[in-house]
Amino acid sequence: MTSSLKSIPSSFRDPSGFLFTHDSRIYRQINTLYRPHWDQLHQSGLYDTLTARGLLIPHQQADLDLALTAQACCVIEPERIGFVSYPYEWAFSQLKDAALTTLKIQKVAFEHGMTLKDASAFNVQFHNGKPVFIDTLSFEIYKPGRPWVAYRQFCQHFLAPLALMSHCDIRLRRLLRTNIDGVPLDLASRLLPSRTWLNPGLLMHIHLHAKSQQRYADASLKPAKQQTISRLGFLGLIDSLTTAVRKLSWRPAGTVWGDYYNQTNYSDQAMEAKKHIVSDFLKRIGPTTTWDIGANTGVFSRLAAEAGSQVVSLDIDAAAVEQNYRWVKQNKTQNILPLLLDICNPSPALGWAHEERLSLRQRGPADVVLALALIHHLALSNNLPLGRIARFLATLSPWLIIEFVPKEDTQAQRLLASRYDIFPNYTQQRFEEAFGARYRILERVTVPDTLRTVYLMQRNESKTS
Amino acid sequence: MGKSYKKLGLVVLLAQVLCVPSQAWGSCPLAYLDPGTGSYIFQLLIAGLVGAGFAVKLFWGYIKAFVVSTFSRKKHKDDDQQS
Repeated sequence: MTSSLKSIPSSFRDPSGFLFTHDSRIYRQINTLYRPHWDQLHQSGLYDTLTARGLLIPHQQADLDLALTAQACCVIEPERIGFVSYPYEWAFSQLKDAALTTLKIQKVAFEHGMTLKDASAFNVQFHNGKPVFIDTLSFEIYKPGRPWVAYRQFCQHFLAPLALMSHCDIRLRRLLRTNIDGVPLDLASRLLPSRTWLNPGLLMHIHLHAKSQQRYADASLKPAKQQTISRLGFLGLIDSLTTAVRKLSWRPAGTVWGDYYNQTNYSDQAMEAKKHIVSDFLKRIGPTTTWDIGANTGVFSRLAAEAGSQVVSLDIDAAAVEQNYRWVKQNKTQNILPLLLDICNPSPALGWAHEERLSLRQRGPADVVLALALIHHLALSNNLPLGRIARFLATLSPWLIIEFVPKEDTQAQRLLASRYDIFPNYTQQRFEEAFGARYRILERVTVPDTLRTVYLMQRNESKTS
Repeated sequence: MGKSYKKLGLVVLLAQVLCVPSQAWGSCPLAYLDPGTGSYIFQLLIAGLVGAGFAVKLFWGYIKAFVVSTFSRKKHKDDDQQS
């Protein structure tokens, strides 16, 4: 055991094992307690089937000497996930696809004599453009007659938030951020409109399920012959949940920036010129990782992806991120991850000791941040001083490609249309001064046919504190 | 021959809805997740229903064909008697 070994704070609840890092590589320790299930996972062919179908993250055997404790029976090195995202950052279709992936895995596991012992949405990550299950220790040997232990968790993590987003309001996704173990079913049942009592799947798995939880809250489970369910009942439960999830949908409509690129003041020529400028800057940097903040539907994220970068495409607008994800899925793009995120209130560190879920900044740094058509939203709509914007962005990446949108621009004018202009410092000169305090401005190019300027900046390492 | 197998399969599946194995309980040190008493009991209550629904779904084609062939046979008989 060496001092560079460090356990990962989000992996501690399951006694079967845990994740740890060693020399910047991630490993998973498997404890002796889990051995029979681990053997079954491999001997039954379940591991091979799931990894071949791209449903489970593959791993390599690692040296047992790396183990952190004496309880270890083996150590594995799972394939690395590019960027860890969380369910409260996913678009509707991402959560839905993650839910269906979990159920598909449960079904395949059942065919191999195993079952999922948990169904946390945090066990799914988007890897190479597709949802993949990352917790290799979630499988246990199926005990005939035993109900699905993870049923409640599945309903709380997937079905309830999807139903709320589909039938109430897409913004209720945020309940996943405040409820780290999923949306309580009694709350979901109260919030859902009464017409959902006529939906068989939601009636059963949300409304009646919530009633049952309330009714038997203080009851204790006693072993008895009749307290079992048949294999068919188990399969029926998974099938019923699959149908309930499949029937949920959300059509993006009526959002403010969803059709932003159709409303933009850019001419086709100007848009092409901007793409050319950004592509040129990206080529000069050659970034491995790019964070596109305010990505909208991901037009510029695709430029970075085409240049070979792993792109995290962030936007505040649910409709834009939904469109972006659908595009990525349709085009089988592997290196763009669309996520919902308000940069003015980015995902914080959450969970036990603030360590279970990482903040956005903790998941960085990226090589480059794209901040195109963003600065006026931050400065004029959110009253953020330019110096503070520069200071925060400088913590995210050493390179910055940023577009300055002057007050005279029609989009900036729209933001000022209904309020007093209290921004005398919002000028291109003050912008350059504020960012010049953190970065070296390497190049500035005016976008033809517009009032806007795109900058290439490199962080000044002596001024980043 | 194939139809006989399907019939047998349907009977076995439906029997599974009613006949469930015992000894599902017992110690399981790895079940670290609290399934929730209400959620656990609720599964026991709905298992028969969702199981039956699943069986019908699996054999829907066969059930439909069986019903259609039964009624069409009856209709043929009636037609034969009339002629």
